[in-house]
Amino acid sequence: MKTILAFREEEFAWSHEVFSCLHPLLLPLCNKPFIEFLIDFAILTGSTAVRILCDGGINPIERYCENGSRWGIALSYGSLHADDSAQILLGKNRKFCGEERIMIVSGFSFIRYDKRLDYKSLASSLPEGEWAACPGGSITLSGAPEKPPADGAAAPLSLMPLDGMASYYRASMEALETGADRYVLPGYGGEPGCAIGRNVVISKSAQIRKPVSIGNNVQLLGDTIIGPSAIIGSNVIIDRESSVESSIVLDNTYIGEHLEVNGRIASGNRLNDPRSGASISMEDPHLLGSIKKSQTLSALPRKVAHALAALVMIAVLAVPFLFLWPLLKLGGRWRSAQIDCHSENPGETISLGKVELDATNALGAIASTLSLDHYFRLFRVLTAELALIGSTPLPAEAQHPNAPANALAYRPGVFSYAEAEQWPATGDDAAIVERYHLVHSGPISDIGLVVKAFVNRPHEKSSA
Amino acid sequence: MIITETSANGIVIVALEGNLDALSAPKLRGSPPVADPKTAIVLDLEKVDFMDSSGLGAIVGAAREKDDPACGIVLSCMNDKVRRTFETTNAQRLFHIFDDTAAAVDFAATRQIART
Repeated sequence: MKTILAFREEEFAWSHEVFSCLHPLLLPLCNKPFIEFLIDFAILTGSTAVRILCDGGINPIERYCENGSRWGIALSYGSLHADDSAQILLGKNRKFCGEERIMIVSGFSFIRYDKRLDYKSLASSLPEGEWAACPGGSITLSGAPEKPPADGAAAPLSLMPLDGMASYYRASMEALETGADRYVLPGYGGEPGCAIGRNVVISKSAQIRKPVSIGNNVQLLGDTIIGPSAIIGSNVIIDRESSVESSIVLDNTYIGEHLEVNGRIASGNRLNDPRSGASISMEDPHLLGSIKKSQTLSALPRKVAHALAALVMIAVLAVPFLFLWPLLKLGGRWRSAQIDCHSENPGETISLGKVELDATNALGAIASTLSLDHYFRLFRVLTAELALIGSTPLPAEAQHPNAPANALAYRPGVFSYAEAEQWPATGDDAAIVERYHLVHSGPISDIGLVVKAFVNRPHEKSSA
Repeated sequence: MIITETSANGIVIVALEGNLDALSAPKLRGSPPVADPKTAIVLDLEKVDFMDSSGLGAIVGAAREKDDPACGIVLSCMNDKVRRTFETTNAQRLFHIFDDTAAAVDFAATRQIART
């Protein structure tokens, strides 16, 4: 028996908006990433190998699950298209499937199972076809049964679609309340309904009311009340005299003093009401703030290298710019406009000047060859608003498939990696090479790519 | 980079071996079945040790030249390194990717029949 877990991005698009820092498949349900529930179920059905397929990015899942040795199974990864049928999925993974029976778990759904029951016999004896289904999700079996049908009642199994914050909250609470009887849940506990992780500091005056699940590296300070029905993630601090009831506090969150969190999901500096879908972001770190490590420091060497290179370019291009710009401007061959573009920081925009040069004129052609149309933008590198080389700045008003909210990586630059690489395809394909370099390039290779972009831009224009 | 061309079921299988980078990408683009817009091919990447943005560009560019961009190039047998490059850049959305060359050939042949 082998299992294919198939996910389509549209099924969990809601999660990107609410929990933007987490890959949806790693979203914790009762302090256990969602994907682990599915892997556990695959193991219960006797699967020796699991393949995870997704039509979007899957790297965070691969980093987390690795090769599956943690579970004693073989884990592998692949991609699919959103409209692939089960038959096509089996074809695309023919080598993986071999001659064995295959269970396909499709959709972003929570599987209600009971670890005490024998799903292995059931999965190997059920006829080919759908085993369980819900809107947007299904479990299907493919291949001939390995055993004759088993006698007795079928093991209960149902699916709950995770199609929004409300269903995520319900599934988490259900996992907490049914507890370790039905699912394999993390944490230690001397009694049912109370699981506590490692390195948890509980003040003498703190109260814990079952059922609760508390992650690792948690501090519960004086007079806090946790529970009933509270899920506290890892790296969380609950400050003095605060209470958390019927709520989920996700990893890396700080709950400030004198707060009552009831029926909410707290994630970083964001507080969500799962019933109404409303959410607020707290700016005051003393109320509710993320204690996640800042990425500012790791970007510093790149910003310094880009700023220095920009400074050199500003100095070198100053003479031709000061000579050509007034002439082109007076001749009407330098047309500029301001456009608002997405900034590197999500939700923010930057105003950039867009210059159109008339390159049919000799002066215009020289200015274009020297990339003088980008001259003003070089100053924005010094203020770290732009990178010297990065993604093509995307207009803020346009609904673009590569908009920062959708893209895997985005860092607007004066020059783009696509220009440096003379990327052959057009349109949105340029984002492919830009993402490649955003992930793989370093400060030094960036400088080399700037030179390439500087050389390639005139060539690109002349061939266009 | 060694490029081997075979055919099965009316589909050309182009097997690559070695590094697919700035040096070898033009050789791939120049390969007749890859460059011909009408020929649907299966690109076997099992023995590709390394692929950079130029190699990726060669494959994406060739697919865009095909009459049927979605199925003109079907990819098969990617190793983990190459698969990660595709996933990092989201380029996997542009291709049908199989873990078995024979299955990829069947798929490409079915699509070609459907088109004609």
